[in-house]
Amino acid sequence: MQQARKLPEAFTGASDGVEIRIQELSVRFPDKSGTAVDALTHVNLEIRQGEFLSLVGPSGCGKTTLLRAIADLQQPTEGSITVRGQTPREIRLQKKFGIVFQNPVLYDWRTARRNVCMPMELMGIPKKQRTETVSEMLDMVNLLGAGYKYPHQMSGGMQQRVGIARALAIKPEILLMDEPFSALDEFTKEKLNEELLSIWSRAKKTIVFVTHNISESVFLSDRVVVLSPHPGRISAVVDIPLPRPRHLAIKDTPEFGALVAKVRNSFEGV
Amino acid sequence: MKTAKILWERISSFVYPVAFGALMLILWETGILHQILGADTFTLPMPGRIATIIEENFPAIMTNVWATLIVALGGLTLGSLLGYLLGMAAAIFTKWGKGGLTLASAFNAIPIIAIAPILNNLTKDVSPDANIRSMVAKILVVTITSTVSMSVNAYRGLTELKPFSLDLMRSYAATERQIFVKLRLPNSVPFIFTALRVSVPGCVISALVSEYFAEYIVGVGRQIRENIVLAQYATAWAYITVACAMGIALYISLLVFERILLKGRK
Amino acid sequence: MNRLNWRKFFSSPKWVTVVWVLGLIVVWEIGATIVAGVKRTPENVLPHLYQIIGSVFSTQKVNGTQTATQIVLSNAWVTLERAGIGFVLGAAVGFLLALLMSRFTAVEKMVFPYLMMIQMIPILGMAPIVLAITKDIDKSRIVIAAILTFYPVATNTLSGFKAVEREKRELMYSLAASRWDIYRKLLIPYCIPYLFTGLKIAAPMAITASILVDTLQGGGGLGCMMSQSLKHAMTIYVFWQIVFLSAIIGILSYQLMVWLEKLLSPYPKELRGNQGKKELTA
Repeated sequence: MQQARKLPEAFTGASDGVEIRIQELSVRFPDKSGTAVDALTHVNLEIRQGEFLSLVGPSGCGKTTLLRAIADLQQPTEGSITVRGQTPREIRLQKKFGIVFQNPVLYDWRTARRNVCMPMELMGIPKKQRTETVSEMLDMVNLLGAGYKYPHQMSGGMQQRVGIARALAIKPEILLMDEPFSALDEFTKEKLNEELLSIWSRAKKTIVFVTHNISESVFLSDRVVVLSPHPGRISAVVDIPLPRPRHLAIKDTPEFGALVAKVRNSFEGV
Repeated sequence: MKTAKILWERISSFVYPVAFGALMLILWETGILHQILGADTFTLPMPGRIATIIEENFPAIMTNVWATLIVALGGLTLGSLLGYLLGMAAAIFTKWGKGGLTLASAFNAIPIIAIAPILNNLTKDVSPDANIRSMVAKILVVTITSTVSMSVNAYRGLTELKPFSLDLMRSYAATERQIFVKLRLPNSVPFIFTALRVSVPGCVISALVSEYFAEYIVGVGRQIRENIVLAQYATAWAYITVACAMGIALYISLLVFERILLKGRK
Repeated sequence: MNRLNWRKFFSSPKWVTVVWVLGLIVVWEIGATIVAGVKRTPENVLPHLYQIIGSVFSTQKVNGTQTATQIVLSNAWVTLERAGIGFVLGAAVGFLLALLMSRFTAVEKMVFPYLMMIQMIPILGMAPIVLAITKDIDKSRIVIAAILTFYPVATNTLSGFKAVEREKRELMYSLAASRWDIYRKLLIPYCIPYLFTGLKIAAPMAITASILVDTLQGGGGLGCMMSQSLKHAMTIYVFWQIVFLSAIIGILSYQLMVWLEKLLSPYPKELRGNQGKKELTA
């Protein structure tokens, strides 16, 4: 089996600017009693290159299912997803996704540095380069001094930062984030939101961000996709034309409030 | 075909082990197993022969089974009750209790080999009847091994409460006694079963081993030993099969009992 | 050396343990005294502790060539050696089986009910049979110790593999890690605490098994000496010494596993010996 000896090459092809194309996607789960649950129905969405896109909705609306389908962690029942012409599986095997889960999923027996290192070890990247990248990544999330700490010695916010650093370490083109800040307190959450935007502006990746927090989604994104449950479906796609770079103060402006209201009113059947 | 796939998923949990077991039995009956292990049909009799012996000696076998069962279950009941009381005491006087229980767990590491003969000697004068003397000694051994397991788990069950549940009770100004009865006791029930999962097979083993050392020759374990000494291997194997059956039957009973009692609970 | 803080010591758990041990000694001595008043040969039933200790240091030759202590120690080595080999063997087999079961669902489904049955079956009761089949006391000691070790190691390690949270596996999946990598970097380090739980349970059991097999036949070993001593072929103090020695060895073997875990676990110091849900299957 060939092991890549360096980080994956950047994408080629697909000049129409569409990173991820989702067509008529449906996902149905068989329930234990035999009835099926329509987690997602007829989802059509085009996610642009370098865009910050949020998926928002209450529990059961299918936002996490959609993210997992893109990540090849969930098979569609109908429809298709292509990422610049390739299937999610192909992209996953090329290690071009970076995933951040709600729970930081750190290994308790590894220090922060070694946790960030882990994907690179899997790719066979030489040690010297790994060490440099780890330092670079930890610096990006402002944790350079805490590299030798173990997860149990770090707060929830710090752990999640390590998770982000790890996801970015193999320089993926697409970052998929599943409610990464939900488990944190409001202060840490806002701080990390700002940090995330600064990382994103430097790296210009495509980010698909799942959250149940409307305010967070409006603050972070270029577009907000509103999903409603029973059955899971897209109710609306709201453009967020707020200027960048954005700082927390923008949350107090009337434009922000109007957009939050617009998103909130787009929900159906809740 | 999706339905076929789902069906296979379910029955494969049965099919695989049954097929494996059937294969083993076939190997055994046809003698191939003997070749693999390098044994002869004298020391490792055919399953058919074993079955015949069980059938022929059924009454005698049942007498021994009964003797072992009394010891095992008697010791289990006594030990579990005693263990639970000890766990309760430890929970009430937490400071001394915890240390005492850690010491009790150290007892677990002491081989039963050491305990059985001591108890045998200690109970020599309990009764002029050798049968009763031995019974008492054996039951004591089983009691000890059951006590340790139950006491540790009872203590945990009475003291490891979900966060804030104590606070809730205190907010209702509940007395310590009410807290004990309404919170700690029900909380400890699953832990009782955790202890039983270990002590039910354990009591059978303890009973069998204690029979080796006892004065009176009765009981399934003792019969296994006696028959081997007399080179009556087929009979010994008959008793081994019976011992296995006892162990399995008791454990399954426990599982059923647990299912009924803990119905609906997590 | 730190100055001993008396007050702190008296309220610590260590003090509690000391008190308990002292309490046990007192109860024993009281029992011994009662027995001494009632019986002709009290040391057969419950000798005083100082008598037992005294016999350890006595130079009286017990069977013509050796003192009591010498007999005990030389046989102890024989028993322990066999138990040790069986233990290592059983642990290795148990670990490999757990690996196979986690890797191939077919294997797991095939073997799992039989594993459950092993728990229900009194393996110790099978000791005479194993002896009869192998016809060799040494081999049978090893085999039985191996069987008794194999079950707790296999079940605990397997439960360790299964306890890996779904998200940790998904992380590996999303990075398209090879199976070998998943085992090496996630599953095996994760299951080490569970493995050691199994080993801690198995260690005293392997020793018990070895001694038990000894009692069934001559040929040396602690159990054999214990049996002979009980039948008065030699002084009863050999029996008592063996009782205490086997207790000590049992506890020490457990501690050995604790120490080994501190040495080998990939987890950081504070978490060693503390991780994982302790499933006390024995």
